[in-house]
Amino acid sequence: MENTLLIGLSRQVVLERQMDVVANNVANVNTNGFKADRSLFAEHLMPGAREDNFVGRDRALSFVHDRTSFHDFSQGASEQTKNPLDVAIDGSGFLVVQTPAGERYTRDGGLQINNQGQLVTASGNPVLGTSGPIVFQPTDHDIAIASDGNVTVVEGTNRIDSVRGKLRLVSFAQAQQLLKEGSNLYSAGEGGAAQADTTSRVRQGFIEKSNVNSVAEMSRMIEVTRTYTQISALLQQQSDLHKSAIEKLADVPA
Amino acid sequence: MRALYTASTGMAAQELNVQVISNNIANMRTTGYKKQRAAFQDLIYDHVRRVGAQASDQGTIFPVGVDIGGGVKTVGTPRLMGQGTLSPTGNELDVAVRGEGFFKIQMPDGSFTYTRDGSFQMDAQGRIVTSQGNPVQPTITIPQNSSGLAINAQGQVTVMLPGSTTPSQVGQIGLTRFINKAGLNPIGDNLFTDTPASGAPQDGIANTDGFGDMQQSNLEQANVEVVTEISDLIAAQRAYEMNAKVISAADQMLQSTSNMFR
Repeated sequence: MENTLLIGLSRQVVLERQMDVVANNVANVNTNGFKADRSLFAEHLMPGAREDNFVGRDRALSFVHDRTSFHDFSQGASEQTKNPLDVAIDGSGFLVVQTPAGERYTRDGGLQINNQGQLVTASGNPVLGTSGPIVFQPTDHDIAIASDGNVTVVEGTNRIDSVRGKLRLVSFAQAQQLLKEGSNLYSAGEGGAAQADTTSRVRQGFIEKSNVNSVAEMSRMIEVTRTYTQISALLQQQSDLHKSAIEKLADVPA
Repeated sequence: MRALYTASTGMAAQELNVQVISNNIANMRTTGYKKQRAAFQDLIYDHVRRVGAQASDQGTIFPVGVDIGGGVKTVGTPRLMGQGTLSPTGNELDVAVRGEGFFKIQMPDGSFTYTRDGSFQMDAQGRIVTSQGNPVQPTITIPQNSSGLAINAQGQVTVMLPGSTTPSQVGQIGLTRFINKAGLNPIGDNLFTDTPASGAPQDGIANTDGFGDMQQSNLEQANVEVVTEISDLIAAQRAYEMNAKVISAADQMLQSTSNMFR
């Protein structure tokens, strides 16, 4: 009897969650290196009656539940900033960041230098090179980052470049297993270990924007709202049906 | 409904973004101004179903999880310390730095501030001062009746004294550098103060040891690129509108729920 209500409710719960995912994508439409999330739903079959070995057996009811949200790792647009400490990664690689909780990975290439001369992220965590953090000397200037991640500077009045390190780029066999931790960081989770990435290229003076497709998100949002409203209407009609059935059937003639 | 709060973090972030951009545009003709940009990060995620968790007792694991994000936060408004273009002014007390280094200025309370704005003046005692009247360090006094003031690439100030045929040096304008220029604290009036994030100031001489050189009769323009700022402004405005749309869509969903059973 209450099946319509419960099935409708299961759909509304996942729609609300999909709306949360869309809202998070839209909120991060200007976050550098952000990767959009998508929701996937699955059908959840439930037999109508507990015993379904009758001759004319009950048809199973299908509910819906949210199976996954997965990361869309497609490349975001690159914006030219001409800032020597901005790097965009062309390819599937990640920068390695040293945080108090261990190594984390990011695509956000808006880097800074801290008071010790270390190359850090916007939140102040050191970005790791192939041999530890990359440290600049006080007299360094004209920082150049090559496409393979090699960081060179001109030191003092020297005319030749001095190497300060090489950005460590890593990739993952199963990037979907990466866990978003907030602050533009990913952790490797249980799934896979980071492998050195030799195919990705670093572009200095560019920054990778968010890969959120705002038009698609807006249409998804409208779709979610409309579906939700339709189900609300459906449930309301069902409720009206119950109401009138009770009124009419229980109408005791005088 | 979480979407409401998520979208409101997005609106707050874009509002700040517009503030930063409008400050850049307002200062596009300010000498020695360095533009800022707003940097954002995503907020903490709610892992409704953790990726890699056990899916069955056969040891299969979920290849992807259900992660719901909570929106966006502003992590900082770093200043981009790139070189601005030099424009010749013809004024002999205008100095621009091409490369690393800030002019060091002594404030009335004795503390030091730093600036890239080299539009200097002379005060009643003949000292080289900023537009606010604070002396440039080290203090240089131009003798009366002198003429032909010249500032070379190293910042050495020479003048022609009456009756003399060779220029005589009256001082040298110093430069100061920081390991993290973006960590300087802006205090307005084109001035910065050092902070624990910027590192200690390192005084030095222009055109040596990695310091930039000085260009007399030039001023450094702001490093704001109008085209970039306008396109960023459009992007920020659209992002703000989209977040507002998400709020009204979430509101519509809530409304249809509350209207469901009368």
